[in-house]
Amino acid sequence: MVVIARFLERIGHCFISFLASIGSISLFLCKSLVTGGSPPYYWKQFARQALQIGYFSLPVVGMTALFTGIAMALQCSVGFSKFTAETAIPSVVMISMTRELGPVLTALMVAGRLGASMTAEIGTMKVTEQIDAMTTLSVNSLKYLVFPRLLTGLILLPFLVFIDDVIGILGGYLTGVYYLGFNSSNYIHNTFSGMEMWDVLSGLIKGAAFGFTVCLMGCYHGYASRGGAEGVGRATTNSVVSSSILILLLDCILTFLLF
Amino acid sequence: MSFIIEVEHLKKSFGRRVVLRDVSIRIKPGESYVLIGESGTGKSILIKCILNLCDVDSGAIRINGQDLSRLSQRERFSALLKCGVLFQGAALFDSLSVIDNISFGLVHGYGKSTKEARMIAIGKLEAVNLDETVASAFPAELSGGMKKRVALARAIATDPNIIFFDEPTTGLDPITSGIINDLIVKCTKEFGISAVSITHDMASLKHISDRVGLLHGGQIIWEGTKPELFTTDNPYVCQFISGSPNGPFTEHSHA
Repeated sequence: MVVIARFLERIGHCFISFLASIGSISLFLCKSLVTGGSPPYYWKQFARQALQIGYFSLPVVGMTALFTGIAMALQCSVGFSKFTAETAIPSVVMISMTRELGPVLTALMVAGRLGASMTAEIGTMKVTEQIDAMTTLSVNSLKYLVFPRLLTGLILLPFLVFIDDVIGILGGYLTGVYYLGFNSSNYIHNTFSGMEMWDVLSGLIKGAAFGFTVCLMGCYHGYASRGGAEGVGRATTNSVVSSSILILLLDCILTFLLF
Repeated sequence: MSFIIEVEHLKKSFGRRVVLRDVSIRIKPGESYVLIGESGTGKSILIKCILNLCDVDSGAIRINGQDLSRLSQRERFSALLKCGVLFQGAALFDSLSVIDNISFGLVHGYGKSTKEARMIAIGKLEAVNLDETVASAFPAELSGGMKKRVALARAIATDPNIIFFDEPTTGLDPITSGIINDLIVKCTKEFGISAVSITHDMASLKHISDRVGLLHGGQIIWEGTKPELFTTDNPYVCQFISGSPNGPFTEHSHA
């Protein structure tokens, strides 16, 4: 009886902690949006974040897309050859990249690269009292550090997703034409004949949602850092893990909504 | 008499741990008040509470006659422009150069132009005995003493009427400590700035204090002027000044 009670107590404790985290993140988000929405705007911070999120993420996002496109075309050829449906490979690669793999892989890469760096940067500022120093210099740290990141994440992730889509489809094309023996013009025709604008748009919408989520988690966990280097390390891990889980959860929800 | 800082019956706890039980302090304009006490007694927390950097459980805090907790966010930030803070680890912004660190509050807090802010920042660098050559350096390239001086330049950049010093000489050699102490005295005596300092450094205490408060058990258990500090027979003060391992502090921590 005692064991069951303890087990239930533990479940209850986890559930309450989970609800407390949701409340804390919601409060953090509301404060950031409310304070960030009014002037002054820190344009240099927007530019700096745009460079970090947009430009410096390009190599890693591009490589991921290329390799995924190549692997995708090869895997499809294995499956589709059993049903002599090889002509469907180009459009399946395109739909997979634009609707699913492009946004999810881009967001996961950005979560690993940028979400972690945001948490580490803000977390270090927090534990070394730089955020307190900012407040005493009459600068709202949420407006200066968080809002520019949230906004640039929301705006720039769709661009990265679009680039990811293009490179992924290119990877599929290279495999199809140079390895599987497709005719180049046929491959291109098969790719675009099955394409609808909604395929691309739904991926871009997902990208915006994922970008916002990654930046929110990165900043929130940075702010929640406690107790020196170890605390910052723990916060960084939490940031990447929670971002990744939320990306996959959101992907599931958005796929249902945008199906 | 008007006070520049008034703290009345302040209570602050973290969960079940009560850090500040009932703290009351009054500081006059132009006065240098030094807070002493064992490590972990809540001296830094007290400063953070005064600056509204952390919430308090109960009690009242007024700076320049204003209760920061009752002000709107905009008014609070505006009131903070009259306060400078030198943090224990300097808390310079790693990603900004020295000149940008000093001009940060002027540009983003006061809304001054970058050019004007930089001119002021160069003046403040000179005031802390640093020359223009360090202006373009980044915090990681500076020694501990230089970091503290840059942080002091940043703290006085907005011409505050109160400065808070959190262990300004910790980790510095005696000569650099002497330089920092002189700068603190210069701030209070020449510029008429009120100062609240936390220190464990007795040489620094002798140099910079007008009045001293001893924080213990979440309360100010002794308060007096600098001459009184060295003549009192209060056992806590005597032990703290002598640095003896035997005395009431040790008995309490062992209890």
